[in-house]
Amino acid sequence: MNFGSEALSRPLKRRSFIASMLATGTLTLTSCGTDDPRASIRFNQSKPEVVPYFRDLLSQFNSSQRTVNATHEVTAGLSAAFARNDPPDLGCLNYNFEMARFQERGALSDLSDLPQQKMNAPFIKQLLDLYPDYPGRTSVLPYSMMGASVLYNKDIFEKHSLSIPTRYSELLDLCGELSDLGITPIYSTFKDAWTVSQGLADYCVGGAIETNQHFADLRELGSDFTPDSAVTFSKAFTDPLLRMQELAKFSNKDAANRGYGDGNLAFANGQAAMYLQGPWALPEIAKTNPDANIGTFPLPMTEDPEDLKIRVNLDLALWIPEQSDHKAEARELLAFLCQPELQDAYNESALGFGVRSDSPPTKDPRLKQMQPYIDNGRIYQGVSTAIPRTIPFENYMQGLVTGGSVEQTLATLDADWARLAQRS
Amino acid sequence: MTLTSPAKPRSDSKRPLPTPPAKRRRFEATYLGFLVPALICFTIAITVPAAMGIFFSFTDSVGFGDYNLIGLANYAALFTDPAIIGAYSFTIGFALVTVLLTNALAFLLAVGLTAQIRARVALRTIFVMPMVISGIVIAYVFNFLFSNTLPTVGEYFGIEFLKTSLLSNPDLAWLSIVIVSAWQAIPSAMLIYIAGLMAIPYDLYEASSLDGASALGQLVHVTLPLMIGYIGINIIIGFKNFLGAYDVIVGLTNGGPGVQTRSIAMTIFTGFERGDYAYQMANATVFFIISLIIALLQLRLTNRGQVK
Repeated sequence: MNFGSEALSRPLKRRSFIASMLATGTLTLTSCGTDDPRASIRFNQSKPEVVPYFRDLLSQFNSSQRTVNATHEVTAGLSAAFARNDPPDLGCLNYNFEMARFQERGALSDLSDLPQQKMNAPFIKQLLDLYPDYPGRTSVLPYSMMGASVLYNKDIFEKHSLSIPTRYSELLDLCGELSDLGITPIYSTFKDAWTVSQGLADYCVGGAIETNQHFADLRELGSDFTPDSAVTFSKAFTDPLLRMQELAKFSNKDAANRGYGDGNLAFANGQAAMYLQGPWALPEIAKTNPDANIGTFPLPMTEDPEDLKIRVNLDLALWIPEQSDHKAEARELLAFLCQPELQDAYNESALGFGVRSDSPPTKDPRLKQMQPYIDNGRIYQGVSTAIPRTIPFENYMQGLVTGGSVEQTLATLDADWARLAQRS
Repeated sequence: MTLTSPAKPRSDSKRPLPTPPAKRRRFEATYLGFLVPALICFTIAITVPAAMGIFFSFTDSVGFGDYNLIGLANYAALFTDPAIIGAYSFTIGFALVTVLLTNALAFLLAVGLTAQIRARVALRTIFVMPMVISGIVIAYVFNFLFSNTLPTVGEYFGIEFLKTSLLSNPDLAWLSIVIVSAWQAIPSAMLIYIAGLMAIPYDLYEASSLDGASALGQLVHVTLPLMIGYIGINIIIGFKNFLGAYDVIVGLTNGGPGVQTRSIAMTIFTGFERGDYAYQMANATVFFIISLIIALLQLRLTNRGQVK
């Protein structure tokens, strides 16, 4: 840029300085505006692994019609967006307790009239019922479900002709046998607290008790809950968590120093027979070892094979905030995303399970063993996703596998729950 | 380096002091130009949100939608919540230990780096480096050192206590946070000490050495008394900063193992993010009052220093 030397030699007058600043500001602002006549909506989807996938879908959507232009938002700060009265127009996020408190207070609009709701698979209802909805509303539309159970190294199992355990006693025998063979039975990554709670803790509790019933009972008690109530965490969780500590001992020696990335690497390299992670770890494992021969089985926590269940969660659910000014346009995008061929393609690529009654079974060889459990509705939602995250449940579980006391931890959890129930 | 003596002896002490220019009282609009933008920004970005936060601490709001005024219920719950009390005792204990360690080491380094040694400037530069790296980066690098490097060294040499990471030891994980926070905070404290040490007139050392004082004697009887103001300020500023510990903890232990290393700031932020808005606003208000007291203390100390 060329400023005249005259202008430079003259001392800059305050007024002209301010005027020029204002002019620059206005210019910048006007250049931000677009001439696009289409209604602009914001689509929030922040699951990192599938951001590029959805970006692609969104550009397909934007070029396919003339009325709506959707922009992709990947920020995770949803609380702040709702607090500012500025939530996205369409959300496509993990359906968890964080999400649930928005629907409970009526921040999400009613989607019960959507034709897609009628297509929900029968098992979906129990997942939606886990969190209280606003009276008379169905606030979310399920999009994709994840099933998680023990990942095991098929090659190790075949080589030593080990069979998949269906009873807790068999599981202990298996771990003992593997240890005797010099093979690490379970690869654990205690450094990352979430890996303990979503894997070991959820499988141990979910395989042993009726988690959904437990939380329904707690909700019924509401603010009457005290650590002496008929239903408490101490009463329900003590045995499963003691078993969790028993199983945790079969981990790699350096588990306390290892994190999620280390776990994926080690399991991909066949350093352990079992790994308690969800399907999201499979692409990571494949990066190291594309030929890893991996299967899955539900962690047996009782002596009855009929009790075997797998952990599921609604990995993605769609919702439209009450505050949105573009509900109709958001519904257009929702309908676009929910076309069966697009939804099925998503599940196939993201290793999810279909949520419609006519969804095809999974084609992925690593997930196939879970399909029968899902078809029969033998599923449960992880405990870690049913406890409000303001209670540091992840940290509590990490404390348990690094030597904490089950009795004390559960007493703390009961006290936390009572305090929370009283103030909310 | 030559220092010009700041106080020139006044040749004519009887000369009347120059009368302050009459113009000084006149209202100068230019100052408003400096003041108003900052004031507006501060009000919008700090004062208003803080006032809103304090208001919401008396409600049952979750951050959006309807809410009810519930008086002091959040505060009452706060003072009986072991998680909150745990966070306060951890943070205050951590801040005390870290501020002492930081200042002791920073002082010693400053004394060393103002002595007549070779490569003094180069060494100072090296020691100041941690200051320019962001806390979260430091924390992740140390996380790697604690989780991988040290255990490997421990395995190799058969040193038992190095084999498991400090980060996963429920009783000692807080030490790792002390070490990393101190490592990060030492440079700025050291710079203040170096400035302080350079301001001590050399004659005092000359005089004391004529009186036969040893190096240690000089340190205890000359340097320390003259540095006490700097030490006070460093300790107060450091304590206040360590009370707000967040990024280093997130990068190192994320509050674990268990809940052993959850700081106040972490509790407030995660609570807010996770739907406990009003309750954590009450927590933040209490924390604000504590910080305010420390800030007032610091202000008093600096003012007294100026008068002296």
